[in-house]
Amino acid sequence: MLAVVCLWVFVQLLLLGDLKHERSQDLLYDRFRTEVAAATAPVGPVVPVGAPVALLRIPAIDLEQVVVEGTASGDLRAGPGHQRNTVLPGQDGTSVVMGRAATYGGPFARITELRPGDVIEVVVAQGTREFRVLGVRRTGDPLPQPRATGVARLVLASAEGQGRLAGLTPGEAVYVDAEAEDAFPAPAGRPAAVPAAEQLLAGETAVLPLLATCLAALVLATLTIISARQRWSTVQVWLLASPVVAALAWATTEVLVRLLPNVM
Amino acid sequence: MRRAVATVVAAVLGAGTLGAGTLALVPTPATGVEEPAARAKPAYSETKTVQRVFERADGSRQEFPAYDVTVTADQTTELRGRQRIRIAWSGAQPSGGRASNPYGESGLAQEYPVVIMQCRGVDDPGPGEEQLRPETCWTASVAQRSQITRGNAESTWRRDLDAEEADKVRVSGLDPLPSAQVCPTVDLGDFSTRLTPFEAASGRVFPACQSDQMPPEAAVGAAFPPAELAAFTDLEGNGEVQFEVRSDVENESLGCNNEVACSIVVIPIVGLSCDAPSTPPSTGDQACRRTGRFTPGSGNFAANGVDQAVSPGLWWSASNWKHRFSIPISFGLPPDTCDVLDPRAPTGFYGTELLAQAALQWAPAYCLRKDRFKFQHNQMSDEAGFALMENGGGPAALVSSGHEQTGSDPVGYAPTAVTGFAVAYVVDKPDNAGEVTTLRLTPRLVAKLLTQSYLGSDLGRGHPGIEQNPLSIIQDPEFVELNPGLPQINQEAGATLLSLSNESDVVQQLTEWVVADKDARDFIAGKEDPWGMVVNPNYRDLALPASSIPLLDDYVPETGNTCRQQNPAVYFNQLAAPVTTLRRISEAILDAHPNVQTRCEFEPDTGLFRLGRIPRQSFGARFMLGVVSLGDAARFGLRTAALQAEPGSFVTPDADSLAAAVALMEPQGPTQPFVLDQQDVRRSGKAYPGTMVVYTAARMKNLPKADAATVAQFIRIATTEGQRQGPGNGQLPGGFLPLRSAGPTAPLLAAARQTADAVATQTPPASSTPPEETEGPDTTGGGTPGGAGGPLDLPDVPVAEVPDAAEEPAAGPALDPVEASTEPVAMPATTPISSRVAGMLLPLLFLGGLLGALVVAAGRFFVRPPRAGLGR
Repeated sequence: MLAVVCLWVFVQLLLLGDLKHERSQDLLYDRFRTEVAAATAPVGPVVPVGAPVALLRIPAIDLEQVVVEGTASGDLRAGPGHQRNTVLPGQDGTSVVMGRAATYGGPFARITELRPGDVIEVVVAQGTREFRVLGVRRTGDPLPQPRATGVARLVLASAEGQGRLAGLTPGEAVYVDAEAEDAFPAPAGRPAAVPAAEQLLAGETAVLPLLATCLAALVLATLTIISARQRWSTVQVWLLASPVVAALAWATTEVLVRLLPNVM
Repeated sequence: MRRAVATVVAAVLGAGTLGAGTLALVPTPATGVEEPAARAKPAYSETKTVQRVFERADGSRQEFPAYDVTVTADQTTELRGRQRIRIAWSGAQPSGGRASNPYGESGLAQEYPVVIMQCRGVDDPGPGEEQLRPETCWTASVAQRSQITRGNAESTWRRDLDAEEADKVRVSGLDPLPSAQVCPTVDLGDFSTRLTPFEAASGRVFPACQSDQMPPEAAVGAAFPPAELAAFTDLEGNGEVQFEVRSDVENESLGCNNEVACSIVVIPIVGLSCDAPSTPPSTGDQACRRTGRFTPGSGNFAANGVDQAVSPGLWWSASNWKHRFSIPISFGLPPDTCDVLDPRAPTGFYGTELLAQAALQWAPAYCLRKDRFKFQHNQMSDEAGFALMENGGGPAALVSSGHEQTGSDPVGYAPTAVTGFAVAYVVDKPDNAGEVTTLRLTPRLVAKLLTQSYLGSDLGRGHPGIEQNPLSIIQDPEFVELNPGLPQINQEAGATLLSLSNESDVVQQLTEWVVADKDARDFIAGKEDPWGMVVNPNYRDLALPASSIPLLDDYVPETGNTCRQQNPAVYFNQLAAPVTTLRRISEAILDAHPNVQTRCEFEPDTGLFRLGRIPRQSFGARFMLGVVSLGDAARFGLRTAALQAEPGSFVTPDADSLAAAVALMEPQGPTQPFVLDQQDVRRSGKAYPGTMVVYTAARMKNLPKADAATVAQFIRIATTEGQRQGPGNGQLPGGFLPLRSAGPTAPLLAAARQTADAVATQTPPASSTPPEETEGPDTTGGGTPGGAGGPLDLPDVPVAEVPDAAEEPAAGPALDPVEASTEPVAMPATTPISSRVAGMLLPLLFLGGLLGALVVAAGRFFVRPPRAGLGR
């Protein structure tokens, strides 16, 4: 039983999550393209969580992702997330975008390969800006120099692992700083802080009640199957129950993932 | 150590008028029982002879003994709304039939009182000033102004010797008379009527014939209780009151402000002078010659009728009016002066309310000068102000203690003002014998109040664990022993100390003082006091000191009262009902209106029961305690309690005791705050435990240049010009101890200068305590209280670390960032953020799955269970 649970989560994080991520990106890309064309894409300061806010292209590592609003673990399942108390990428100020390093497609798995001078292209509602990478920054490295006025700064934040299993153990925070001249104006009125669940490497403890509900549903399904087995044939029960159980397990694991650190 | 009167109040307000540069907090003499030095030179003093005269039928005069009345007032210039000034008189005719409440209408049933009221205009007006008239004097009710439909025995003003003939006719006072639609009762049959209309500042005339023909501020249930009163003169001919002045903010119809001259009119009533009687004397002649029914010094609690000729109701009548003392008063600039006169954007300094009264006087000294910035004091909790300052939301914070630094920039503290908090009270002696002027409190008594250990009323009796406790501090044997001669009748307001609901350095220091005392600590820990009182179990072992007092009680009384059954509520929390600002506490004490929310009554309009605040306490039975700032206490003339420093020694806030406490404060290093150890205060026995220093705290690095210059300018001006005592613009109000270059405050002044330099040049002194690096820098404003999220709780995000001062629009476009790019700045290191969960989960899951599969496979292989399907 333990083995099934462990493996299922493992598979979901790496494979099924990837599917979900691809699907979300497709939908988000369509939606964002439409909004940009219709000039209805958000410019801040407050954007509904989960809405697409920017398109991020990094040719050096072959990355093209739609950035969503919010950096909670659940938001980052769809793609890189924009931290809500910072300006949008390209606007006058410092913007923070977080992305997963290993699970759910791991869009930011390769950002540590960026070199100073590499180009990051960002499309937001106000237009397109090209950022130049300043460098990769890890724990203990000095922060970049104070941002000059009128310059947009972008901080890509993710996590990385060490050793042989580096790709599977993203436990240490890592940042990539980039700057673009000639920033877009930033609207005032951003929130002063974000909840703890949206900080780097934080999980959403608020989903615990939901998780309990899902688990209860699984238990209920199990009990139903057991009682059904006493009346109907095994084949019939399997046929009816397996999609239900698979869906429930998928949903439960999705909730469980929200409990885990957001950029892993 | 017992001192009369709240010394701060009297001394400060009094001496403040001596002129700029004089010490306002006059050191009380060592004997210090009464008569502070300030009383020697009042701001206003005048002596007049008042005499009652009857004209006999033969034209000769019968003269009553003359009284040489001297009236003094302690402050007459630069007054602010609701400020109370002390008015004293001597040599007046002793009063009789003392009312339980001398204010407003209820003060009318007295004989020979001294009427004190505020009027627009002055006597001998200069150009642009208005002549003072009865029509410009404020009263809160019709009965105080007009005499409507009176019979012959009650129309004595028509016999007034000094009145004009036109004022002696049957109906007089307003020409033309108001119509019967407006005033239906003015002109009825044989009855006499005298109107004293009120002329508002706008020019509108209110006929004052019934309550709906009065100015709006005189409506029933108006926002402010009446300020005018008919005060009582004792048997020696002396009397004293604290008279509350109203500016046009409180009373627009009266309309006194810094441009409209006003007066306080004091009329000692000696009785009407009467003209020659007819023969035989008519009823009116006899009534005019009455001399009173009450013996001097007696009381009239039942509000029985009095002789009209010697009552305060006819203060406007010519022979009374000519006895008036008019004390010219002038108001200071209104609180919104800077907003009106200075179009520049204000620079907000965020923080403690202790500085409110000083900021009120300081602000115009900044905004009215083009070479200075526009200073604005935004009141909020110390903690919030400090956080705003740290993350660049404001250039500087005003705090009254050191705060834990969360940002990476070093913060410098500049002592700006020495003030503190006080426990203010309004308590009446039993039998209407006046206000209590000395009150002593021990830490344990305050602990009992803060821990909600009094029952309040019989509703609290059912509270488990404390059934035997006294109902309120009024009945606490410890309090009674300490303060003999106080009333013993319980009031719910006596069960609580009105305090702050939010976090504050004031509460922090108050609780530090409480727990410095072993008796108080033992009490909170659950030990009985010598009279058998125990702490409320919900508060047992409450962690103190703390910057806020939580409301922990959960007892909902069981009662047969329908209203309470429909509105079940935690009774002790209704008693405590803390508020958010010290100013509200001051005003509650000023009005004797406790914030106790236990009124429960039927609302006939909606048919529902509702809870609410209890009414104002009635004069003569007031009992209320609250935590206030010394600035407010001085401004509003609140009496302040003596706090116990050590057993047997009680200290009131005054210049000496504040200075003694400042002398005990220890510096924590250059540009760092001073710390007052309550144990030192106990040892000294002279220092006031509530002494606090207000600091201007600002970053000493990465502050935009314009802000740095502004903050340094503020510190320098506030510690030089701002320390001159007086009521005027830019001066230091009462309740503050000025910083001087000699004496105990010298180290504070030196520290302020050092910090001003460090902030101006943005170079922290080398020996300054390095910022604590234990926590990740946080410029997002403390939105993430730590320890809430369990194992996944992490420090703040990296954006915080990016020094982003330039992001604030306040900094001009061409400021430091450009320079920063030419010259590299030493930047702090990236904070470590890691997650073991994220690091280990995937491999562990895989391993777990693999192991599980292996175990199952191995089990199948070796054990061969009889039935398949277990492993599924």
